[in-house]
Amino acid sequence: MSVKDLGRAATVVREEQHGEFETKHMRINVGPQHPSTHGVLRLVVDLDGERIVSLRPQIGYLHTGFEKTMENRTYQQGVTYSNRMDYVFGFGHDLAYVLSAEKLLEARVPERAQRLRVALVELNRIASHLLFVGTGLLDMGALTPFFYTMREREQILDLFEMVSGVRMNYGYFRVGGLSRDVPDEFVPAARKFLDGFPKMIHQYVTLFGKNDIFLQRTKGVGVLSKETALAHGLTGPSLRASGVSVDLRKTAPYSGYEDYDFDVPSYTEGDLLSRLRIRIDEMYESLKIVRQALDRLEPGPVKDPDRRISLPPRAELEDSMEAVIFHFKLATEGFHPPRGEAYVPTESARGELGYYIVSDGGSMPYRVKVRVPSLINLQSLEPMCVDGLFADMVMNIASIDPVLGDVDK
Amino acid sequence: MSEGPATRALLDALEPLGAARRETTDLTSVTLPKAAIVEAVGLAKEHGFVLIADVFGIDYLTYPGHQGKRFTVAYNLRNLDGTERVFLRVDLDDGETLPTITHLFPGANFMEREVYDMFGIAFEGHPDLRRLLLPEDFEGHAHRKDFPLGETPTLFNEGRFLDPAAFRAGLSGADAGLTQWKGGARKGTVSEPDEGGRS
Repeated sequence: MSVKDLGRAATVVREEQHGEFETKHMRINVGPQHPSTHGVLRLVVDLDGERIVSLRPQIGYLHTGFEKTMENRTYQQGVTYSNRMDYVFGFGHDLAYVLSAEKLLEARVPERAQRLRVALVELNRIASHLLFVGTGLLDMGALTPFFYTMREREQILDLFEMVSGVRMNYGYFRVGGLSRDVPDEFVPAARKFLDGFPKMIHQYVTLFGKNDIFLQRTKGVGVLSKETALAHGLTGPSLRASGVSVDLRKTAPYSGYEDYDFDVPSYTEGDLLSRLRIRIDEMYESLKIVRQALDRLEPGPVKDPDRRISLPPRAELEDSMEAVIFHFKLATEGFHPPRGEAYVPTESARGELGYYIVSDGGSMPYRVKVRVPSLINLQSLEPMCVDGLFADMVMNIASIDPVLGDVDK
Repeated sequence: MSEGPATRALLDALEPLGAARRETTDLTSVTLPKAAIVEAVGLAKEHGFVLIADVFGIDYLTYPGHQGKRFTVAYNLRNLDGTERVFLRVDLDDGETLPTITHLFPGANFMEREVYDMFGIAFEGHPDLRRLLLPEDFEGHAHRKDFPLGETPTLFNEGRFLDPAAFRAGLSGADAGLTQWKGGARKGTVSEPDEGGRS
């Protein structure tokens, strides 16, 4: 069946004879420009009355060829592209990319850079979950929580602007460390946020947590069993809501996560309510990690001191010919990791995220393959929605938290 | 990544299938003959690698000093808690096909479609083998190394044709081009009257 046929909205797709009566399934085209699809997700849904018979995602509207572009840029330039994929969880993508590149290079990332990376990624996870809670409830018709969650997200974005200069597409991490140290006012500002935020989470929960309409629409709706979730490759918070308590930060720690004390929340119901609750619980855990990271922050360098990886400090360029040479080499062609392959899986706000990088010894990666969680998680939408009501589909989309930049790459 | 008991047991079980351990990387990476891949993935599943993280292709066309077949398809499988991970690989020439593993892992559906889309490697028995990310009528396979980066004329539905050179010319005002922009003043710029090439 061609795309053209799929796209014909409200086409009668199947006729069944039941005695004298005819049952016709209706094909509905949802998206790609529908506000509830969180971007440009297009779904072709077959309906039997209000009940969903089948659902197929049609994706690629946002495909930008980031992988191919990264294969034609130097390693250091890769961070420009990585955060543009999942624009809601940009620091997480940056971290996954630099970790794989550092593995190839065997770079030694200083302690301070590691701590700051963890703090920023966890703040970003909170911002991402806040957007999830806000827009997810918005899809259900609850307008108010959106304003509250966006208010707090704004504070986090202000922190990001303080360190990176921008509120989106940060590009702040570097292979071997960070682009520069955080400003002095970052740590006090972050602490101020940390102190006020738990009260705010409590506020959201009281807004909808015991609301009867909310509970009726989410409890026992869109249930995904553990077996189905695993078979469809679901990872991340949505999998933990289905009874699999696995977090790569805990089981396969990277970037120093083994030093932090935090819990991995999980639920066994696998319904909409637990997928929403788990993100709220995770915000508390992320807060713990940020607090610990800031507590252990010691002054020190934020870049690998190896001149073959990091740019020399500006002051050295004034009186050292060698520094100028290194600067020129790095700025024009970049570094050359040895031949090999690296893959460092990380836990993104949506699931397993990792960059498989193949190096041919040149200054540009030979092959970059991103394991994007949103794309793989999207496959769980069909088992979640089939046999459910059409009205619940929109909430089901929201509950697996797809970011379409992450889906289409 | 450290090799746990499940990985060691799996490597032993894969030995009779003709598995060759790849020593060029720290990752647990094994090359298998094409005929054995479905069995190998099944074995991995039995040995506790219950989650398929990814299926992806690599085109070794321009890899310096590469010998052997052009394409590689790699299966990234992990155990439930993510502590152990194996990469099963198959080498393929242009035009060769692979059997699907969607009956073992329904989640491999999109992954195999992406490999088909980007490399043109077909998967036999796949329930819905269509392009995943690129338009259905796109010509070529974008992740092959001989596919040019940019500057590719693109034909869209209903005969709409986008030629990059003409498109750029249209933007610069040298020619009406696709956008039909006649090269008037943009905000903040002053355009000199210029008769060259404009109608």
